[in-house]
Amino acid sequence: MVDKMIEIKDVNKHFGDLHVLKDINLEVDKGEMIVVIGPSGSGKSTLCRTINRLETIDSGEIKIDGEVLPEEGKELARHRSEVGMVFQSFNLFAHKTILQNITLAPTTVLKKNAAEAEEEAMKLLTRVGVAEQANKYPHQLSGGQQQRVAIARSLAMHPKVMLFDEPTSALDPEMINEVLDVMVELANEGMTMIVVTHEMGFARQVASRIIFMADGEIQEIAKPNEFFENPKSERAKDFLSKILHGAKEGE
Amino acid sequence: MKNRRFSFKLWANVLVLVAFLALSVFPALSSVAEELPAPAPSPSGLPDGITAVSGNLNSSDVTDQKSVLTETGTFVRAINVPGEKVYLISSDSTYAPFEFQNEQGVYEGIDVKIMEEVAKEARFNFEMKFPGFDAAVQNALSGQADATMAGMTITAARKEKFDFSAPYYETELVIGVKKGNSVNVHDFSDLKGKTVGVKIGTTSAEWLTKHQDQYGFAIKQYDTADQFYSGLQIGALDAIMDDAPVMGYAIVKGQGIEFATEKIPNGEFGFGVPKGQNAELLKKFDQGLTAIKGNGTYQRILDQYTAGSDSSSISGTADESTIWGLILVNKDALLNGLAWTLALALLSFVLAFIIAVFFGIASYDKKINQMRPWRQVLQKLVTIYVYLIRGVPLLVLAFFIYYGIPQLTGQSLDVFFAACLALTLNCSAYLTEIVRSGINAVPRGQKEASISLGLRYYQRLFYVTLPQAFKLMMPSFINQFVISLKDTTIVSVIGVVELLQTGRIIVSRNFESFQVYLIVGVIYLIIITTLSLIAQRVEKKMS
Repeated sequence: MVDKMIEIKDVNKHFGDLHVLKDINLEVDKGEMIVVIGPSGSGKSTLCRTINRLETIDSGEIKIDGEVLPEEGKELARHRSEVGMVFQSFNLFAHKTILQNITLAPTTVLKKNAAEAEEEAMKLLTRVGVAEQANKYPHQLSGGQQQRVAIARSLAMHPKVMLFDEPTSALDPEMINEVLDVMVELANEGMTMIVVTHEMGFARQVASRIIFMADGEIQEIAKPNEFFENPKSERAKDFLSKILHGAKEGE
Repeated sequence: MKNRRFSFKLWANVLVLVAFLALSVFPALSSVAEELPAPAPSPSGLPDGITAVSGNLNSSDVTDQKSVLTETGTFVRAINVPGEKVYLISSDSTYAPFEFQNEQGVYEGIDVKIMEEVAKEARFNFEMKFPGFDAAVQNALSGQADATMAGMTITAARKEKFDFSAPYYETELVIGVKKGNSVNVHDFSDLKGKTVGVKIGTTSAEWLTKHQDQYGFAIKQYDTADQFYSGLQIGALDAIMDDAPVMGYAIVKGQGIEFATEKIPNGEFGFGVPKGQNAELLKKFDQGLTAIKGNGTYQRILDQYTAGSDSSSISGTADESTIWGLILVNKDALLNGLAWTLALALLSFVLAFIIAVFFGIASYDKKINQMRPWRQVLQKLVTIYVYLIRGVPLLVLAFFIYYGIPQLTGQSLDVFFAACLALTLNCSAYLTEIVRSGINAVPRGQKEASISLGLRYYQRLFYVTLPQAFKLMMPSFINQFVISLKDTTIVSVIGVVELLQTGRIIVSRNFESFQVYLIVGVIYLIIITTLSLIAQRVEKKMS
C-alpha cells in the first residue's frame, strides 16, 4: 500500500459521445518510470492529465500516495503542487523572466521567502544547464532550453510525481536529447515519472514499464524489452511495425 | 506568438499619462468644485477659482450690509437674508440677452439682473443655475429647482405644470434676413417659397408651423440658436425667426442680420414655480417685480440689454473676432471646460474599469473546471447587464438617470454625478467585454501550467492571467478611453458645462460659430490624437 505512488481504478471519461478513457486500471510504484505510448487519439495524454485533474473523470478513482484526489479547492491545489507536470508546449509564463517562472509557485504556494526561492531556483537552473539565461524572458530561449526550464519549474515544488505530456514533440530534432538527458538523470535519481512520448529509444532505455494505449484502453503493460521484442496485442504489433519501420528509414 | 515579454515600460507610460492628465485636471477642477453651490455661503468663503468673479453689486443701496452677491461661470447667488432658505432657480444656458456668459465668463442678462433686483427688493435668497432651457424646466418639475426663470413664455400648456408670476417681459417675434436683404423679404407674404430657420420647440417654431400654409414657406428646425444664425450666414436659410430681443442682441453683436418684417406680439415671459408649490416665493417675486417697475430699475435693465438704443454696454470691449482674440478672452472658460471633460472621462473610465475587471472575471469562459452554479448565475447576470447597457443609447441613459430617477425617488441628483454615472455604466459594458475577451485570449497553457503548480484560483488570476490579459487589452483600453472622451460631449446635453457646452455658451454670446467650434475641435483633436498615437506605440511594442 505504502509503496504505491499512483493508483488508478476503473477510470472512465467521455468527451461528449467519445469514450476517451475506458476502465483504466494502473498502479505505479514509488520510483517507477512509466512510459505511455500509443497512436494519437489513444487517450494517453488525457490519462496523463487526469492524474492532476487537469481533466476531470466521469467515474473511478485516482489516488496519489494513498490519498484520493480531491474534487476542488485548497486540497486539490495542494495535491497538484505535489504532482509536477511538463507540457508539450512548455507553457512558461510569458510575462515573467526564467528566474521568476521558477520562483512564482514556491513563493506563492509554499510561501518561501524570495531569497531562499531564488537560491534554489538558481541551483535547479544550473542542474538543467540554463543558469546563464535566468534573467531572460521565455521567448528569448530555444525550445530545448524552455523545456528544461519547465522541468526545473516543476522540480522547484519538490513533487512526488512528475508527469510529462509529450515533452519533446514540439522540439527541433537537435534539441530533443538535451531534454531527454535531464529526464534520464531525474529517473536515475529515483523520481516517480509518467512520460507520454513517441521517443522509442528513450522508452526502451529508461522505462521501468511500458504502457501501450489504443482506443482509450490500456492494451498492454510490459517491461520494455518484452514489449519491443515480443508485443502481445495486435494493436501493439501494428503500431510498432509502423513506428520502427519509420525509425529505420530515418536512420 | 513571439514577443510575449511583459513590458513594465508600457505600464509606466500609461501611468505617466494618467498622472499628467490628473495633474492638469485637478487644480482647475478643485477651483470649479469650490464654485459648486454650498448651502450656507459666507462672504469670506467666496470662490477664487479661475473663472470666478465675485463682488457686491450696489450693496450700499441695501440696508442690510450682509447682502452678498456671487456671480461665477456656473451660477449666480444672492444672499440678502443670511441664514434663510436659498431658493434654487434654474435657467437657460445660452439665451442672450436674457442669460448668457459675458467675456469674463460670468452669467448676466435681463433674467439675471431682474432676479437680482427682485430678490433684493423682496428680501429673499436665491441661487441661479444655467443648465439649458429643457433641463431648467425639467429641474423645476422634478424638484431639483424651486423655480424657472428662463425667458419662458406663459402658455396654456405650461400653465398646466407651472404657476406663473405677473409677466416681466412682453416679447415679440420677428423675421430676420442677411444684411442687405438680397432675398427681398419685407412682409410675411414675401416668404413664399423661402426656407426659414427656427429653434426647435420655441414659440417662433409654433408660429411658423401655424402660418406655413398661409404664406407657403419651408421650415428648418435647429437645436440651438447659433446653428440657424450660422445657417443664415452660409446661405442655407433665406430667413430666420426668433424673439426680437434675441435677434436684436445678435445684431448688436455684429452679426450681419437685419429685421425684415414687422414684429409680432408674442406673449409674455413669466417666472414659474412648479404648480401648487413655492407659493411664497411666487408672491415675493411679484412684490419685488412691482417694486422695481415702480422705481425705474426695471426699465434701466431693459435699456441696458435690448437692441438698437445703446449697445455699448453689452457689445463688450474684448476683441472676439479673431481666433487668437477668442482664445485670449475665453481661455479660462475653455480650460475649465476641458478640465470638466477630462474629469468626466477619467473618473467614469476609472470607475468603469473597476466594474469591468470584476464583471470580466465573473464572466469569462472558464473551461478547465466545470463552473459552480453561483458562477453560472453570475455570468448570466453580467451578460444581461452588458446587453442592457449596450442596448440603450447613452443619451437616453443620461436622461433617464438625471430626469427620470429624481422623479421616482424625489431626491435630486447632481448633474456631474448623473453624467458621470451614465458614462460609467455605458463604458463599463464595453470594458467588460474587452476584459472578458482579454482573459479568454490568454493561452490556455498558461492557465494549465499555473494550475499544475498548485496555484489557487485568485493566485492564478493575479499572478498569471490578469497581467497577460491586461497587456493584450491595452490598445483596446486606450481606444475605449478615446470613445469615452468623445462621449462626454453627449452627456453635456443634461447641462454639464464641459468643453463642448463651454463652446456653445461662448457662441451664444458672440455668434462666432466657425471659430469657436474650430478651437473646441482642435482641442479634442490634440488630446485624442495624442492618445491614439500612444495606443499605436503600445500596439507596436506588443507585436
